[in-house]
Amino acid sequence: MDALKKCLEVEHISKTFYNNKGYFTAIDDVSFDVHEGEFLVLLGPGHCGKTVLLNILAGLEEKSGGRVLYKGQEINGVNEEMSMVFQLLSLMPFKTVMENVELPLKFRGMDKKQRREVAQHYIDLVGLTGFENAYPHQLSGGMKQRVGIARAYSVHPEILIMDEPFGQLDAQTRYLMQQEILRIWQEEKRTVIFVTNNIEEACYLGDRIILLSSCPATVKEIFDMSALAKPRDIVSREFLEIRSKISDQTDLSM
Amino acid sequence: MFTANKKKSILYRLLMMVLSVSSVILLLAAYRAVALANPLLLPSFDQIGERFVKLFTTPIKGVPLTAHVIASLRRVLIAMGFAWVLGILFGFSIGWSRTLNAIFGTIFELFRPIPPIAWIPIVIMWFGVGEFPKELIVFIGSVIPVVVNTRSGVMYVEKQYTDVARAFGASRFQMLKEVVLPSAIPSIFAGLRTSVSTGWTVVLAAEMLAADRGVGALVMRGWMGNDMALVLISISVIAIIGAILSFTLIKLEKVVCPWMH
Amino acid sequence: MENIAEKNIDTRPIKVEVKNLTKSFGDLLVLDNLNFNIRQNEFVCVVGPTGCGKTTFLNCLTRILEPTSGDLLINGESADPKKHNLSFVFQEPSIFPWATVEKNIACGLEVKRVPKDEIERRVDRILDLMGLRDVRKAYPKDLSVSTAQRVIIGRSFAMQPDLLLMDEPYGQMDIKMRYYLEDEVIRLWKELGSTVVFITHNIEEAVYLAERVLILSNKPAGIKEEVIIDLPHPRDITDPKFIEYRNYITDQIKWW
Repeated sequence: MDALKKCLEVEHISKTFYNNKGYFTAIDDVSFDVHEGEFLVLLGPGHCGKTVLLNILAGLEEKSGGRVLYKGQEINGVNEEMSMVFQLLSLMPFKTVMENVELPLKFRGMDKKQRREVAQHYIDLVGLTGFENAYPHQLSGGMKQRVGIARAYSVHPEILIMDEPFGQLDAQTRYLMQQEILRIWQEEKRTVIFVTNNIEEACYLGDRIILLSSCPATVKEIFDMSALAKPRDIVSREFLEIRSKISDQTDLSM
Repeated sequence: MFTANKKKSILYRLLMMVLSVSSVILLLAAYRAVALANPLLLPSFDQIGERFVKLFTTPIKGVPLTAHVIASLRRVLIAMGFAWVLGILFGFSIGWSRTLNAIFGTIFELFRPIPPIAWIPIVIMWFGVGEFPKELIVFIGSVIPVVVNTRSGVMYVEKQYTDVARAFGASRFQMLKEVVLPSAIPSIFAGLRTSVSTGWTVVLAAEMLAADRGVGALVMRGWMGNDMALVLISISVIAIIGAILSFTLIKLEKVVCPWMH
Repeated sequence: MENIAEKNIDTRPIKVEVKNLTKSFGDLLVLDNLNFNIRQNEFVCVVGPTGCGKTTFLNCLTRILEPTSGDLLINGESADPKKHNLSFVFQEPSIFPWATVEKNIACGLEVKRVPKDEIERRVDRILDLMGLRDVRKAYPKDLSVSTAQRVIIGRSFAMQPDLLLMDEPYGQMDIKMRYYLEDEVIRLWKELGSTVVFITHNIEEAVYLAERVLILSNKPAGIKEEVIIDLPHPRDITDPKFIEYRNYITDQIKWW
């Protein structure tokens, strides 16, 4: 099957920080593959090195060891093929929705007319038509996160990295956004690496789930979720069974 | 029942309004009582009124009150114009570049704690008592808060914003223009607000020491001539203009930063 | 589902009565004539669609807002923070950074002028029940968010309040942590016998915890339905009866 083509290979990544308390290992020898077009979920408890791992993939953070291959080529630093949805909404408060979404395009030197068009397309896709000139503080939490998603999509990335994008939302908005992200993903297929600490969310979204341990982050287990068709019923027997299974394997981080 | 709830009631708000208005009336009444009992300490309202009219009919140093106000304002605005432009540029440079901060930041830190008024003797010795030395002192006073606030605004841009720009491949210049500059604006404005009040204070001090025009000179003249009414009028003018300046700046900030609440 | 209630008639005395509670801001009616009772030692969860006026509801119960009409009675008297002991846990941990864990737990009791030896006894009990003995001398800066929230929960239970209101205290926790904390709150409630109103957006959480679930309707908020969850604790989320309750309540809310 074509879907199994490797898009990204993460090989033996580790990360150690040094501070006044001494060495601290956040990530310890993490390896996994990302397949082209899949919705991959990295699931881990509490504050283990998930965000650090993503920042390494996105090129925002140096790694202490290991390497990352994109289509067989080793990559370092910021990569044009990747785009990110941030955990803190990270919208520029001084820019409108439109300006926020077109910002990455501006960075890439696209002319104004063209970037307006592209940005408008993604604003429409995430359902924010009519809010182009609003400032972030005028939007609800869910709407802000839609802006973040549109912004990440706007650069036509091969890989979309999403760092706990719904962590700050209330439970109902979160369910709604989970459905939305699947809809958007089905309309514009990309490879997605989605990080969460929410087991239910992981089971609802993931084609595969990579379960990480608590500090330091290591790969505990990989779950293939392809047997469950999307959209998934979160109270179906199969769903709750796999959820409980994953939950039993997850570390409790106090 | 509960104090918190009372805030909502109309009666409560009305009461608060009455209280604040009556406190002002009480102050004026107290003034009047003291002025009546001791005319040497405080002039009466009538005397102040007369003195005010006289400021236009028999001008001090050949010019009416308005000319004194304009003289002070001119000094402040010229000096502050330079302070804003140079202060923002300098603050930006040392906030943005570690090298420039290493070179100039320390020198700036050495000069920063010196109160602007302390420069007056040196500046007068060097440049005499003309317009330029007064403007220079105002400049020194008002540039410092601009630099301090601009620098911290640029230095402490939230990491989440710079991370976004980096992840999307912004160049250093794009980062500066699209992220750092706008996110530093609120902090820069805080510096400008402080600079307005400092500048206004410093110009008066400078005028009181060596000037024949300006509101500060009027205060001095009133003091020397034992003209209490003139002193009081000058103080009121100073307060009113100070309020107008900071009000204007707040309005300006709302125009420049529409994203702030 | 209503007839389940008749199998097990609740004989506990009524502790809290909410009578004709109505709140409007100008012309905007937010709470529309809410009526319900809470029995002594009862654990009630409140669920409702996003933006249904939950915050106003809570603020009327905590008496931050004065209801437009209606009242909240505790033991038959109009609720008064000076007389009654009301305690709250909010979503964001409201821990005092300048006090140690045990001081944080004790501080509410000190305000209420509980005798020193009694404070000590209660704090010890809470520390034991929650397994916080090892961190009793720690300052909040050294605690994780979840532990900080547990300290706040401990503080509220230590007060032995007439009514303990919890507003989505586990909203930001991961599921594993939530299970743990949910089991813990049930343990505290059973051991200490408090009357708890627990507000949540999470229906699974409501069904997992509550003896009775109040479902709020959309704006203006009214009590749409009360569901008695007739399952013993600890509950199993994969139990078909559990799922039946969860689906039923979800259908009642229908937020999308």
